[in-house]
Amino acid sequence: MSNNGTHPTAIVRIQRFNPETDKKPHLQEFEVELQPGSTVLDALHEIKSHQDGSLTFRRSCRHAICGSCAMHVNGKNELVCKAPLKDRLDRKGRVTIRPLPYLPIIKDLVVDRTSFWEQYLRVKPWLAPPENVPEKEFRMSPEEVGALRNAETCIMCGACYSSCQIIGLTKEYIGPHALLKAFLRVMDPRDSIPGERLADLDGADGVYRCRTIFNCIDACPKNLNPTQAIETLRKLAQKREAFERARVERQKHLDEPILAR
Amino acid sequence: MPDNEIVHDILIVGAGLAGSWAAMVAAKEGVRDVAVLSKIHPLRSHSGAAQGGIAGALNNVRPVAGTGPDGPLEQIPAGEPPIDSVDLHVFDTIKGSDWLGDQDAIEIMCREAIDVLYEYERMGCVFSRTPDGRIAQRRFGGHSTPRANFAADWTGHVLLHTIHEQALRHNVTFYSEWYCMDLIVEDNICRGVVALDVLSGKIHTMRAKAVLFGTGGYGRAYKITSNAFANTGDGVAIAYNAGIPLMDMEFVQFHPTGLYRHGILMSEACRGEGGYLLNNKHERFMERYAKDKMELAPRDLVSRSEQREIDEGRGVEADGQGIWLDLRHLGREKIMQRLPQVREIAIDFVGVDPIDGLVPIQPTAHYSMGGIATDADGQVIADVDGTPVVGFYAAGEAACISVHGANRLGTNSLLDASVFGRRAGYAMARFVQGGAPLQPVSGDPAQRNRQRIKQVLDNPGTELVEDIAQDLKTTMTNNCGIFRDEERLRKAMSEIKALQARFKNARTMDKSSRFNTDVLATLEADHMLTFSEVIVAGALVRQESRGAHSRTDFPRRDDDQWLVHTVAHKNGDDGPRLSYKPVTINYEKYPPQERKY
Repeated sequence: MSNNGTHPTAIVRIQRFNPETDKKPHLQEFEVELQPGSTVLDALHEIKSHQDGSLTFRRSCRHAICGSCAMHVNGKNELVCKAPLKDRLDRKGRVTIRPLPYLPIIKDLVVDRTSFWEQYLRVKPWLAPPENVPEKEFRMSPEEVGALRNAETCIMCGACYSSCQIIGLTKEYIGPHALLKAFLRVMDPRDSIPGERLADLDGADGVYRCRTIFNCIDACPKNLNPTQAIETLRKLAQKREAFERARVERQKHLDEPILAR
Repeated sequence: MPDNEIVHDILIVGAGLAGSWAAMVAAKEGVRDVAVLSKIHPLRSHSGAAQGGIAGALNNVRPVAGTGPDGPLEQIPAGEPPIDSVDLHVFDTIKGSDWLGDQDAIEIMCREAIDVLYEYERMGCVFSRTPDGRIAQRRFGGHSTPRANFAADWTGHVLLHTIHEQALRHNVTFYSEWYCMDLIVEDNICRGVVALDVLSGKIHTMRAKAVLFGTGGYGRAYKITSNAFANTGDGVAIAYNAGIPLMDMEFVQFHPTGLYRHGILMSEACRGEGGYLLNNKHERFMERYAKDKMELAPRDLVSRSEQREIDEGRGVEADGQGIWLDLRHLGREKIMQRLPQVREIAIDFVGVDPIDGLVPIQPTAHYSMGGIATDADGQVIADVDGTPVVGFYAAGEAACISVHGANRLGTNSLLDASVFGRRAGYAMARFVQGGAPLQPVSGDPAQRNRQRIKQVLDNPGTELVEDIAQDLKTTMTNNCGIFRDEERLRKAMSEIKALQARFKNARTMDKSSRFNTDVLATLEADHMLTFSEVIVAGALVRQESRGAHSRTDFPRRDDDQWLVHTVAHKNGDDGPRLSYKPVTINYEKYPPQERKY
């Protein structure tokens, strides 16, 4: 669809692929009006609504909390809902959008995340609380909560996972997203199986698989640091028994007020 | 058993807080075969977008002695008296509801809040903390004490992840990216649903002894909304089409602080932590509308006040449609600690850092007080007498119990979804374990729905679905928004009728069967056209102003005529048949009063 010439436009190049009808992926060009403040997601919507309804992508919340819309934009993984379209255009006014790398394509920009969710399940993402439950809440200090901040805001968008070169080589690797979740549980004073978790993460597909290439940090739209979490898990795995003993000790006082220092 | 038929003991549609609680509890109670289907992955559910907190009178904090009710907060030292109570939470909720909430259900919600909160905490939810390690609390609009329990400003996110993890732990089966198209009810007994597997394009009849809808709200029918793309009110429309009544649909909440032009939520916690609202003269205009509560008056009142300022020419931004949200005086540290997500949103979407700039906001369609009529166990009712629809349950924003009446208080939605999702889970477990049979299904409902998809795909029409959806949003915003009157509502009704006619001529561009989101958008638009008519019909007949329903031609609340719930049944193509149900009121304890803040 051409524009009337009064508004500037953007060229949006999108990788298209429907495995039921196409032999291989190909790039298709669309032209959209460049509205003030519009995002890459807005451009995808405009194309889908008025030019080609078969264009397929995931999205929901449009403010970077649901984790649906991670894609590969100009060679970098990001959430398209918060990517300003204008800033993503090259000198010729073009942006290129592909699906997340290293994952099978379901259709166009939608990828198959089966391995991603399998690894998430593998680390037992739920808390394993101690058997003695207090009448009210477990007490945690603001510092103990602060130590979890690097992991609790992970939205499971997959931007880190599909930027990780190890994932490109093997889906056996647990991956930065699930290791970050494991970090959240191991570090939580309410979790009573940190030793078991660390032992599980200690294998060949776990913390030692990371080659500290840092792609995950660059890709994370929530500014989290999976590499650092993996480093921490590695160190803790080396002194697992001492860490477990400290946890047992800490859990004896989970129902007691944190004392002012 | 026909091909493609799927059977479970309990089938839940929607994987937000309500659906996930129900699933987790039923599984924990020993129901072996619990399944949840969701049109998006469970962790993408819109519960996760809630920011500011979840209500509950835990009595962890209080204003510092001698600083008055608006003073800085401190933890309540051990042994010192509480300042909050379940009764106070109940009263605040009733007053917030403009007396349309059912007081027995509200009492249940506020009482069970305490236990639900501690259960979340023990399941691993990472709450912010007081210095002595208790769950942190802040102020929120319409609540007379600081009882919004929070995790920074991503409370919904941590609650959603926690409950999803627990559902997985209890071996709940998930159908991710399956779209429920139809509810099977015969002889007032629910027998299952029909669902589309989005990936394969195949349609399945899914039978179950009990079905729960936790399908969320219907804010997507408005142009400016905080709601996710997914919030198209599918469950509400599907139930209505199956003959199930909808209650109080005309009550739609507009949140006072949606990001200007985007509608994205800037949490009420911004004002809970002390933020101001300013007009173009930099006046704190709430002084004119709610002298006591100021910015922390309930949402309906604050949104109306903003709209008045805008309508009278005191709005901001080029088109005068904005209001300033001022957080600068809170200081960097408080904003970074307590409001990190809203800061990022403001920077990302309007290029303003609230630490040193004014954030443009405007009212945004936010929450659906109305929905599928249920009792306090999530049991769906068939009529104003409360006849149960056997085996059919609803909870969360899709349901109307009603605990929010004409206006919901902030932080009561996460609470409603949690408490009543949990209660519905227990109720379904009792129902199934009490020997409820799998009921037979007559005919082939899957085939009927295959025909519906075929019609959508084969329609050679000239209309684009998105254009119809946009026109619907425009008329709902202009004619059935914050302020309403008879003339505008009649206009909305005739335009919706015209849009329904245009929809028959709508063309779907994607003709493939695999992951066809174009077909989904068409079905969603159909659902929006269906429930929007019910919203307008209820609003047109209700000749009073109560809570979020504000009629400029009937500016007063009228308890003699209208202290009743609107109950809407589908009546062929003639539009809804409306009947009315009394509100449950404890006249000795909480008699209706004038509502002032």
